[in-house]
Amino acid sequence: MDTKFTRREFLRRSGAAGAAGAIGAASADVHPPGWHGTTRVETIATNCEMCFWRCGALAEVKDGKLLKLEGNPEHPLTQGRLCARGNAGPKLLYDPNRLKQPMLRAGARGEGKFTNINWDQALDFFAQRLIELKAKHGPESVAFFPHGAGSAFFSTLMKAYGTPNSAEPAFAQCRGPREVGYALTFGRALGSPEPVDLENARAIVLIGTHIGENVFTSQVTAFAEGLARGAKLIVVDPRFSVAASKADWWLPIRPGTDIALLLAWMNILIGEDLYDKEYISKYAQGFPDLAAHVKEFTPEWAEAVTEVPANQIRATARAMAAAKPAVALHPGRHTTWYGDDTQRARAMAIVTALLGSWGRKGGIFLPTEIKTGTFALPAFPQSKRPRADGAGTRFPLASEEQGVTNGLVDATITGKPYPIKAWIVYGQNVLESIPQRPRTLEAIGKLDLMVVVDVLPMEQTNYADLVLPEATYLERYDMPQIAQSAKRPYIAIRQPSVEPLYESKPGWWITQQMARRLGLEAYFPWKTPREHLETLVEPLGVNIDELLTRGAVAFSGRPYIDDRLPEDGPLFPTQSGKIELFSPLLKQLGFDPLPRYTPVDEPPVGYFRLIYGRAPVHSFARSQNNAWLDALMDENTAWINEDAARDLRLTDGQEVVLENQDGVKSLPIRVRITQGIRRDCLYMVHGFGHESKRLKLAYHRGASDTELMTRVKVDPIMGATGMRVNFVRVLKAEGA
Amino acid sequence: MARYAMVTDITKCVGCQACTVACNSEWDVPTGFARTHVHSTGVAGKFPDLISTFYVAQCNHCDHPACITPCPTGATYQAENGIVMVDRDLCIGCGYCVEACPYDARYINPVTKKVDKCDFCWGRIQKGLEPACVATCTAHAKFFGDLEDRESDVYKMVYERGARRLETAEVAIGPNVYYLGKKEHVDLLLATFPPRRPRLLRAGEVWHGYLKPLVLAAIGATFLGQAIAFFHQLYSGEDQFEDWE
Repeated sequence: MDTKFTRREFLRRSGAAGAAGAIGAASADVHPPGWHGTTRVETIATNCEMCFWRCGALAEVKDGKLLKLEGNPEHPLTQGRLCARGNAGPKLLYDPNRLKQPMLRAGARGEGKFTNINWDQALDFFAQRLIELKAKHGPESVAFFPHGAGSAFFSTLMKAYGTPNSAEPAFAQCRGPREVGYALTFGRALGSPEPVDLENARAIVLIGTHIGENVFTSQVTAFAEGLARGAKLIVVDPRFSVAASKADWWLPIRPGTDIALLLAWMNILIGEDLYDKEYISKYAQGFPDLAAHVKEFTPEWAEAVTEVPANQIRATARAMAAAKPAVALHPGRHTTWYGDDTQRARAMAIVTALLGSWGRKGGIFLPTEIKTGTFALPAFPQSKRPRADGAGTRFPLASEEQGVTNGLVDATITGKPYPIKAWIVYGQNVLESIPQRPRTLEAIGKLDLMVVVDVLPMEQTNYADLVLPEATYLERYDMPQIAQSAKRPYIAIRQPSVEPLYESKPGWWITQQMARRLGLEAYFPWKTPREHLETLVEPLGVNIDELLTRGAVAFSGRPYIDDRLPEDGPLFPTQSGKIELFSPLLKQLGFDPLPRYTPVDEPPVGYFRLIYGRAPVHSFARSQNNAWLDALMDENTAWINEDAARDLRLTDGQEVVLENQDGVKSLPIRVRITQGIRRDCLYMVHGFGHESKRLKLAYHRGASDTELMTRVKVDPIMGATGMRVNFVRVLKAEGA
Repeated sequence: MARYAMVTDITKCVGCQACTVACNSEWDVPTGFARTHVHSTGVAGKFPDLISTFYVAQCNHCDHPACITPCPTGATYQAENGIVMVDRDLCIGCGYCVEACPYDARYINPVTKKVDKCDFCWGRIQKGLEPACVATCTAHAKFFGDLEDRESDVYKMVYERGARRLETAEVAIGPNVYYLGKKEHVDLLLATFPPRRPRLLRAGEVWHGYLKPLVLAAIGATFLGQAIAFFHQLYSGEDQFEDWE
């Protein structure tokens, strides 16, 4: 069989390649400027971008000023609820440290010295440089790093310009392994929002997932609802997370051994005849191989590896079986841990299959496609050179839509397979989102051009040649969200609540201006955002004024196997048309066709494994300068087990410095001494320790976990950077 | 007449602080202050047998509020529906009520110099909306309603499902914010965040018993003096002020 074809076919069928395909090009003004009068009191429906869940919001505006954001009860998914960050949106809009006008670098890279320029000068400079780069090095020499809803217009621009080199951290630093692992098993990537039927589950299983601290509004609602209805909760986490505090079983597993636990669960489900036999015989292939494979992985074997007692492994497997098929084994979200992450996702998918939970109520539900309108665009130029990030080559199953950020960093440093000369960064902070910061800085040092489009002066803006201040999500139109992985698929819009402040401009305007300068206007065949939106929603039969008033419109979904119609396509769009417990594709590519546990490196004596996660009041590294959120959490702490802390003579709240295995030291961070973490690891919330002095609240508050990740273990299947392979020791802070 | 109450289901609450920020936003609470706030109890027990839960704090609109008696101006009062209100026109920002509240639910707003606290979002309730914290609660863990309505969620949670008040033998003033959860969790909540003995209660009594009449007498005397001066001026003409010009 032809590997190349099979791989492409896999990506096509799984949806991993074309997740954003349906929503290719993007918008302009849905309303003419000045639509919001300065004296009217209005409620404007929009959606949130404090994170990527995009909860429905209602902006209350008076005299051109945003007074408050409320949840939008009309929103089909989030139903009127907003988290702390969503409620704090006004403080992003009115953040005094915002980027206020275009700036050209005046000092050395990293120095943070700039000259203010106007938009004409900025866009002329940007376009001129892109034209030169294309002539000299080819369009592929320009790499694009997007993130978030606003990136759609820029993606169109970069494709039209002719570069295939686009990569967002959502894949290789986040969801990639699970998307690939589940697609290998069920033929379908999960997508976002992930379709986990928490509210109907009779058992919920979280492996490292810390719902509650990791807050996606509707997911928290569904989780809490599931618990209130009596779902049993199993939490696998080295740390006593908020979710663990609600669990029936908390399994404080030895970090890096999750696959061993999953194999033992399979051993019990099969060995004790507890799996869903009818479902497996009807829908799955490879069961005999799987049964033979897991026979040796007994709970006793797993206890020795995971340090989870065998009786608890048995009890939890039996609890899941008793609840089947209504078992919501959450596939996780940030899944790039140890470099064997696709295999862990495979193991989770297989347990899900054995319980008959995929496509069943209370398990993982199925997406329903909604067909939006398309634009008659000229074909995008076909690149003569392959992608530089290794997606499809070095990393055979990496998504070509989302790309491999670290692959682009590698290519920029080595000049292989060809030199990368420019980075265009939109809405992500490459110094915080991509591990191995020294390598990222080395790559940036080699660039002829770095352009950053952002809202706040994040540290990466200090390295940019050109900084473009974008309007916040509350001041701009964006590509509407077309959510297919919801029980009721929906379209939800973003529209400005107030006029852009300062000299900031919406992304759609910036890209249209650039397209004009680059002779690419044909890729933006709409004049106003309203025109763009009309084209998109035309086949949906939605009244556009109703959509603009209500903010979102839902359609009927077919979330469970029994609901599916022929138009929904094959149930399991794998090569075999069945659930692939045994993966012929992985075998063909030279990887383990059945997941297997490989030991991870242990921390050296005196070191802890560095683990990290989220806090409910912050998003990534981008919300720490928000005054309301800063008031609730202005620094992170280093969680250390009480016994370990006693040995080190640490006191709670003491300021320390963390030093990793390569001698990299953190900013000072306070110790949080707790029984709620294993002795062998140290936990910190991601996103703190900002280095940009222009972030007046966030600058040097807490410490950065990313800075301490000088090592990664790359998943050979799809290129993700396993980041839980770094070790730190605790040094007393100077003067403390 | 209604008897309004709030119940937090701590089996659902994840401590995400959405309520805190929604309340800040709704009431324009200065940064660093709060009308409602969330605290973790911290972890109790020994690894790996641990428990932990959250305390969602706000004004309890008590049956016997400790904050009303100390108020020298009558700004703090209880409405018939049980909501403890603050009349900002009368409040002089003395802070006696802040000290008196066993739940630390009040603060002096540094901008207005008046006392501020949760009023169950009375303005929103009148418009038919839920309190801001209830409407936004990501875990759908907060419930607001009328304890005299047998069909209400709060009635069922309090009288049928055993939601509890944070009260001790020492401080039992009938709070109307209840917590529903496993016994061990509510016990931990109470052990970690027990109501404190009202401070300055004695000072308040002193105020009411002795100082207030004196002050009132002084105010009365001032008015009397003014009146005497007025009539004196009326009858004596303006010549007494000529030196001022």
